[in-house]
Amino acid sequence: MIGKAELLAGIDRLAAAMERDFEELNQADGALGDGDLGVTMTRGMRAIKEKAADLPDDLGMALLACAQAFTKSSGSSYGTLMATGLMAIAKDVKGKDSVDPGETSRLAALARDAMMARGKAELGGKTVLDSLDAVAKATEGQSDPDRLADAAVQGAERAMDDFRDKPATVGRARIFAEKSKGMDDPGMLAMTRIVKALAGRN
Amino acid sequence: MKKILNDPSNYVDETLAGLVAAHPEYYRLHGEDGRVVARAKETREGKVGIVTGGGSGHLPVFTGYVGTGLLDACAIGDVFASPSAEQMADAIRVADRGAGVLRLYGNYGGDVMNFDMAGDLVEFEDIKCTTVLLADDVASAKPEEKEKRRGVAGMVYAFKIAGAAAEAGQDLENVTRIAQKTADNCRSIGAALSSCTVPQAGKATFHIEEDEMEMGMGIHGEPGVWRDKLRPADDIASEMMDRLLDDMPLSSGDRVSVMVNSLGATPPEELYILYRVVKKRLEDAGATIVMPLVGRYATSMEMAGVSFTLCKLDGELEGLLKAPCDCAFWRVG
Repeated sequence: MIGKAELLAGIDRLAAAMERDFEELNQADGALGDGDLGVTMTRGMRAIKEKAADLPDDLGMALLACAQAFTKSSGSSYGTLMATGLMAIAKDVKGKDSVDPGETSRLAALARDAMMARGKAELGGKTVLDSLDAVAKATEGQSDPDRLADAAVQGAERAMDDFRDKPATVGRARIFAEKSKGMDDPGMLAMTRIVKALAGRN
Repeated sequence: MKKILNDPSNYVDETLAGLVAAHPEYYRLHGEDGRVVARAKETREGKVGIVTGGGSGHLPVFTGYVGTGLLDACAIGDVFASPSAEQMADAIRVADRGAGVLRLYGNYGGDVMNFDMAGDLVEFEDIKCTTVLLADDVASAKPEEKEKRRGVAGMVYAFKIAGAAAEAGQDLENVTRIAQKTADNCRSIGAALSSCTVPQAGKATFHIEEDEMEMGMGIHGEPGVWRDKLRPADDIASEMMDRLLDDMPLSSGDRVSVMVNSLGATPPEELYILYRVVKKRLEDAGATIVMPLVGRYATSMEMAGVSFTLCKLDGELEGLLKAPCDCAFWRVG
């Protein structure tokens, strides 16, 4: 089962990964956007880590507090999308102290759908939504923690491989559609790193 | 980077501190981190609130237009970056006087997402919100995709006209309808001669040669429709008017306000050189010009360049445009 202890451990791994990837994410974003994705992710995870000691046992309330901390830390679109996804999961698991790992696929899909609505974007646009979609599909029917972790990472990496040679279609990166062919979308790259850190597969 | 500043990361907070210090009769800072500017005096109970928000670097937009007959509050992000949803929620809270709040701002992905999120946050507090987006930049998307257009200087008209309606005591539904009508009747286009530098980035947002200009460029350096050698003022003005009038044709008897706006570095002298052609083109179309605005209304810091905005008026909009307003940057009546 995934409970508060697992959540706290996940936050630690993710915060460390974002510190490590700070420059890389900024650079990937700078090629196509405003170059602050590393800033957004490290700031957001630092804000969550500061709250970690006070998180309640109710996983829903804990994730809601994480989402709010992330939102407060920056106004970047990516940060708001992350918080939107977290809030969607938070609403679903509210009142529970633990969640079955077998729920991962369904929860990833919930986050994906909420983020699609907020970002007014479709699947197939070479965005973080495609990464989440791939993770949701790859983890379907998986409940063994080890296999689940591997499947999630494979899903995220496959999505990057599948979309690398396609042009960007959304947001600022759309301006650089031609140039973006052959490059990883920065949001997808960040999501792959997030999934790897949460899965403990760094 | 050649700018008058201290630590670049304090650029926005120090700007706001100076703004309220210079104009305490108009503005006060609000919110946990002081990134909301509200009217100095609380507005009366029962008045519809109007909030806006967006990145810094565009003064007088957005913050400057908080004032009587204009906005109630504004959430302010870093230079060219959206404020957070929390900051926007704080702006909505301070603007709410029990009659609901209109969110009136430019169509940028980050701002839209965060204002929607802010709406989710204040929904728990029973504050009723509506939204009107400015999408007036004709160079940013074709007419058939006009909902994708970016919001630029047209928002000054929307602030003014919707602000007057709210001040006159109209309800949220009407203020929203009037703001939408204004947005639907505004068209803008810009042309840039030089770049600008985001303080925290430390280098120019884009590069443009000394003898070049870019037609249709966005206020954050988004690519425009063409880049070429700098042309004479009358040619620039003619092409900009062509593009505006193609998108929103005017006919004999139409009444229209026009704004000739400096993007920051371009001096009033050059705006007046351009205005000669603007006036002639509108009169040739048979339109009557109402309250022309020539000056610095919506800028991109030190960018050299200009934007034109047309705002087509009916009786209702014209009355509200001419109604009194007062803030540190603009007074009518």
